[in-house]
Amino acid sequence: MVLNHDPSQQPMNGNGGNKVPDDSGFDQRILTAPVKSAVDKFQLLPEFLKVRGLVKQHLDSFNFFVKTEIKKIVRANNLIRASRHPHIYLRFLNVKIRKPSIVDESVTDEVTPQTCRLSDQTYAAPICVDVEYTHGSRDDPRLHRRLNVEIGRMPIMLRSCCCVLYGRDEAELAKLGECPLDPGGYFVIKGTEKVILIQEQLSKNRIIIETDKKGNIAASVTSSTEKIKTKTVIVVENEKFWLHLNQFPKKVPLMVVMKAMGMESDQEVTQMVGRDPRYSYLLLASFEECRKCNVYTQEQALEYLDKMVKRSMYSSNSAEKESRAFSVLRDVFLANVPVDGDNFRTKCIYVAVMMRRIMDAILNKDAMDDKDYVGNKRLELSGQLVSLLFEDLFKSMTTEVKNLTDKMLDKPDKAKNFDISTLLNRTQNIITLGLERTLSTGNFEIKRFRMERKGMTQVLQRLSFIGAMGHMTRVSPQFEKSRKVSGPRALQPSQWGMLCPCDTPEGEACGLVKNLALMTHVTTDEEEAPLISMCYSLGVEDLELLSAEELHTPDSFLVILNGLILGKHRKPLRFANAIRKLRRVGKIGEFVSVFVHNKQHCVYLASDGGRVCRPLVIADKGVSRIKEHHMKELMDGVRTFDDFLRDGLLEYLDVNEENNTLIALYEGDATPETTHIEIEPFTILGVIAGLIPYPHHNQSPRNTYQCAMGKQAMGNIAFNQLRRNDSLLYLLVYPQRPLLTTKTIELVGYDKLGAGQNATVAVMSYSGYDIEDAIVMNKASLDRGFGRCIVMKKYSAVIQKHSNDTSDRILRPNRAADTAGRMRVLDDDGIAAPGEILKPFDIYINKQSPIDTRTPKASAANLPDSAYRSNAQSFKGHGGEVVDRVVLCSDKDKNMCIKFLIRHTRRPELGDKFSSRHGQKGVCGTIVPQEDFPFSEKGICPDLIMNPHGFPSRMTVGKMIELLGGKAGVSCGRFHYGSAFGERSGHADKVEAISETLVSKGFSYSGKDFIYSGITGCPLQAYIFMGPIYYQKLKHMVLDKMHARGSGPRVMLTRQPTEGRARNGGLRVGEMERDCLIAYGASMLIYERLMLSSDPFEVQVCTACGLLGYYNHKLKTGICSYCKNGDKISTMKLPYACKLMIQELQSMNIVPRLKLADA
Amino acid sequence: MDPQPEPVSYICGDCGMENTLKPGDVIQCRECGYRILYKKRTRRSKLQFR
Repeated sequence: MVLNHDPSQQPMNGNGGNKVPDDSGFDQRILTAPVKSAVDKFQLLPEFLKVRGLVKQHLDSFNFFVKTEIKKIVRANNLIRASRHPHIYLRFLNVKIRKPSIVDESVTDEVTPQTCRLSDQTYAAPICVDVEYTHGSRDDPRLHRRLNVEIGRMPIMLRSCCCVLYGRDEAELAKLGECPLDPGGYFVIKGTEKVILIQEQLSKNRIIIETDKKGNIAASVTSSTEKIKTKTVIVVENEKFWLHLNQFPKKVPLMVVMKAMGMESDQEVTQMVGRDPRYSYLLLASFEECRKCNVYTQEQALEYLDKMVKRSMYSSNSAEKESRAFSVLRDVFLANVPVDGDNFRTKCIYVAVMMRRIMDAILNKDAMDDKDYVGNKRLELSGQLVSLLFEDLFKSMTTEVKNLTDKMLDKPDKAKNFDISTLLNRTQNIITLGLERTLSTGNFEIKRFRMERKGMTQVLQRLSFIGAMGHMTRVSPQFEKSRKVSGPRALQPSQWGMLCPCDTPEGEACGLVKNLALMTHVTTDEEEAPLISMCYSLGVEDLELLSAEELHTPDSFLVILNGLILGKHRKPLRFANAIRKLRRVGKIGEFVSVFVHNKQHCVYLASDGGRVCRPLVIADKGVSRIKEHHMKELMDGVRTFDDFLRDGLLEYLDVNEENNTLIALYEGDATPETTHIEIEPFTILGVIAGLIPYPHHNQSPRNTYQCAMGKQAMGNIAFNQLRRNDSLLYLLVYPQRPLLTTKTIELVGYDKLGAGQNATVAVMSYSGYDIEDAIVMNKASLDRGFGRCIVMKKYSAVIQKHSNDTSDRILRPNRAADTAGRMRVLDDDGIAAPGEILKPFDIYINKQSPIDTRTPKASAANLPDSAYRSNAQSFKGHGGEVVDRVVLCSDKDKNMCIKFLIRHTRRPELGDKFSSRHGQKGVCGTIVPQEDFPFSEKGICPDLIMNPHGFPSRMTVGKMIELLGGKAGVSCGRFHYGSAFGERSGHADKVEAISETLVSKGFSYSGKDFIYSGITGCPLQAYIFMGPIYYQKLKHMVLDKMHARGSGPRVMLTRQPTEGRARNGGLRVGEMERDCLIAYGASMLIYERLMLSSDPFEVQVCTACGLLGYYNHKLKTGICSYCKNGDKISTMKLPYACKLMIQELQSMNIVPRLKLADA
Repeated sequence: MDPQPEPVSYICGDCGMENTLKPGDVIQCRECGYRILYKKRTRRSKLQFR
C-alpha cells in the first residue's frame, strides 16, 4: 500500500506520531512516504488556532476594550465638579474590572458562567474606580482618596481576560462546568447566551469616489472623531464642484469654501490639484461660479457662507465673534482633518486631493472606488460596540452624579458633611442596567453618538456545536436589504482568504450576511502618534513645509495614514519597504499595513481597528523564509506561532496590502517575483464550509446549501450538554465522527462533537418511495439506533410573590380526588419527579395562586384554602416524554423558580429530514425491513438507499468521492481526508490511491458492489455504488409539524377558523386552490369549503332597501330596521366575514345594498 | 389522605448534599451555600426487575 500521507500525523494530538516509532518496529507509511520538496507548513494552522482561537476577533476586541479603551474613556471624562461649589470635585484616577461575581444579600460570591446560565443571572463583573475627591467647606477642603469604588457592573465576555475561564486547561474548565471546546466570545445576560454580531461598515475617514443618484461623480468622506460624526460630499454637477454638507441646506460652490478657508488665489488651487492642463480645464467652470457669486476674498467667502448656513443651528453661538460658517468649516467640514488654530492649509490640501481624485475619475472611469471592495470595509466588533455603550452610560452617570451633588450642596444642612463619593453607589444602576438592557434586547440606542440600531445581539444558536461556531463568525451588514443591486451580494475577489466564499444564507440576506474565513483576524486600534513621528523620520516631507506646487511632483507619492495626509515621500517603494521591515522585526505593530497605490500616487498606511487581515508566509525572491528546521522546532514545542511572527517568517496582511504582493498558492509555484506564500489553501473557507469533504469537487451552490444545513444538524452540542438547561435542545443519541474528515474538522473539534452518523448508502432505485430525493431507510438500522435523537424542552414555573404579600403555593397532590391520574407523576411536594413518564395533560406542578393578589391582607401567610384557585400546569405533548431533570433556584426577584427538563427520545419516522454533507437533503420516504433490503456478496446491507437521480443535476462529485474514501476508510482502518484543495498538499486522499486501497481490500476500484435483491434473492442486473456517507439528521421532524383539524377554535372577530398549527388552525383553501375549483366548475365544493366549513351565517335582508335587518325572536320574523317593518324580508346565508364587511362599510358612511334575485 | 407526608429531599448542584426544603425556605444548600438544587429521581419504577 503506497500512501503519500501520514495519518498518524494528526494535528491536535500534538505528540507528533511520526517521531516515535512504536514497539512493533517501523511505521511503514513513514518510511515509504515520498520526500517532500516543500516545507509542510500545515502545523502552523493548529498552532495559529491555539494562540488565536476561532473567535479570537471577539476576544481580542473585548480585551482591548477592557484593558485600554475603558481607561481612555474614564480618563477623558475623569472630573466631576459641582457647578456652584467648585471646590467640591471628584476625580477618577484609575478604573479596573474585577473578577465576575454576584452580590446576594450583601454577600459577594465569585461565579462561573455555568451558574449564571442555570440560574438566569448575568455574568458580570464589578467596574471599580479609584477616586480622589474633596470634602468639607470652601475654606478647608480636604482631599480624600478611595480605592476600588464600584460604579457598576460590566457583562463579561466568556474566555476574555476578565473571565474566570481565561487561561484554564481542560480539566479546570470541566470542573467549572464548562465545555473545553466551547469558543467563548459571547455574553451571558440573564441566563441567555448573547452574541454581538460582527457589523460590517464602510470605512471611516477615507475618501470614496462614487456616483450619486443623478449619476454625478462625487467624493464622500464620513468623518468620525471622538467629538463628531459628519459626512462631507464633494460632487461635480454641471462641470462645477459643489459641496454637500448637512449644515448647508443647499449645495455650496466648492471654490467659495476654498476661499473661505484662506485659499484666495485660484492659481494656488490649480497648483494644489496638479498642473496637468486637463485638470485646470476641469476647474475652470468652478472658478467662474465663484466669480459669479462675487467672492474674491476670505471675508467675502465667509459672509457668503454665513447666509447659507442653516439658521436653526448654533443660534446661541451667534453672540460669539467668529462667524458661523467659520466654525462649521472648522468643526464639521471634513472633521477628521485637524485644524491648528485658523490654519486651514491641511484641510485645503485634503480638498485638493479629493478634487484630484474626482477629476481622475472623470478622465478615467477606472479610478472609481468600489464600495464592495473588502479593503474599503471595516468590521465593528463587540469590544467597540460595548465601548460606545459604556462611554455613553459613563457620561450619563457622571452628569447624574453632578446633578445630585448640586442638589445636595444647595441644601445647607446636608452640605456640611457631604461626601461626593457616596453618590457613586447611588448611580451604579445607570451603568449596570444600561449595559444589561442593551445587550439583552440588542437595540443600541445611543443618543450621544446618534446611533440607533436594532438586532445587534442575538441569542447564540445552540442547535449544534458547529452552528454556535458559525454564529460567532457571522458578519452582518448595516445597510438595508431591500435594495435590488447585485453588487453588495456578489462574491468579491478581495474576499479571498478573509471571508468564506461558501457560507452565506439563501434568500433575502444572500451575499449580505457573510462569515469569516478560518485564519481571518480583525484588527484593533493602534496608537497613531508613534507611527506619525516614525514616518517623518523615514523621510516623509511634512505637509506644512510643502508649497502647493510641490505637492504633486511626478515621482513623489503622498503618504496617508488612516485617511490623514501626512506629507509626501520621494521614494515611496523604499519607504514602504522600510516600514515593512520595521513591522517584521516587531518595531511597529504587526497589524500596521502599508500599501503603495501606484495609480493614485499614494502610500496608504493603516493602523485603525476593524480591518480584516490574515497571516501569510514571507518569501524572499520566491524562497520561503520558513525552513524545515523552523517547522521541526514548532513540532518540538520550542517555537510558537508568535515566534514565527517575531522572527519575520510570517506576517499579517490586510486586503489593501495584498495588492502589493504576489502570493503563491504553494511553495513549488513560487517565481522570483513571489513575495508571499499561502499557509494552506483550504483556509479560504470558513468553519462551516470546512466540514464539507472534497468541496472543490462540488458545484458551488451545493456547498452553500450545506453551510445552511450544517447548522441545523443534530448532534452533540457541547461536553456539558446534559448539564445545561436550554429551552430547546436537539441531541443525537449515537453521534459519530465522520469517516471522511477534513483538517478543519479536526481543528474545530467537530470530530469530538459530531453531528451525524456514517450510514452505508446504496445508490440505487428502490420501491418508488424514493422519488424527489426521498430516502429509503433500513428498519433494522433504525432499531440499532441510526438517526435516533433526543429533544429536550424546558418548562418553567415561578412561585410568584404578589404585591399584597400573598404568594403562590405548591400543594401536595390529593391522590384520593385524582381519579383521572393526572397527578400520577407528582411527588409529595407537588412537583413532578425526574424519571416519570408523562402522558398528555398530566400535571407537572400542582401550583395554586391566591384569587386576590391586590388588596392587602392581614394574614397573608395563612390564607384559607378557599382563597386560592388552582394554577396547575399541565403537560401538552405527544406522550412518552420523560421528566429528565427538575431544577430549583430563585430568580432575581427572589421568587422560587422551578424548571422542568422534559426529554423525548425519537426514532426516525416517515418524513423526517436527513442530509449528507453536500447540500443533498431528503426526507425519509419509507422504512423497509432489513429482510427486503438489498445486500452484497460480503453480506453488507445498506442503512439507507438513495436514488441515483440525485447526482446528475446536482453535480456533487464530492459526495461520490466521500463514499469511495469512506469505504476505503472502513476497510483499511484509517480515517481518510478530504480537505478542500488538499490533494496537492496531502490533506485530501486522491481517488487513485483510494481505488488502490479498495482493490487491495477486495472491492471494485469503482466502489460498486455486486448486489443481491432482498426481495427475490436474485443478483441485481447492475453493480451498485455503495459505501458509507456521513449523514446528518436535521431538526425538522414530522412530529413537530404534522397537523390536521376537523372542527376547532375560531377567531372572535370574523368567526373563521384560526390560523397556524400552534392554535390548532384550519387548513386554508387559498386563492389558487379556489381558482382551480372555479375553473373546474365544482360550485358546490367551493360553497362548502368557503362558507359552510368556514363562517356560515344567516342574515335577514330587506329586499326593499337592500340593507341587513334582524331577527325578532318574539315575533318570530325578520325585521328591517330601516323600513321599520318585516314585509319584504328574506333570509339568506352569507359568510360572517361578508356581513362584517357590510357593517364596517356602513360605519364609514358607505352603504352596500344587497339586491336579491331568484336563482 | 395519608397523614405522614413523605419529606422530599433535593440534591445540591455543587456538593451533592441532600437538603429538605419547607415552603418559604431560601433555595440554598445547607452545606455549601450553592443556590441551585435538583430533585431526586423517582423511586416508583414502572419496570419490575426480578
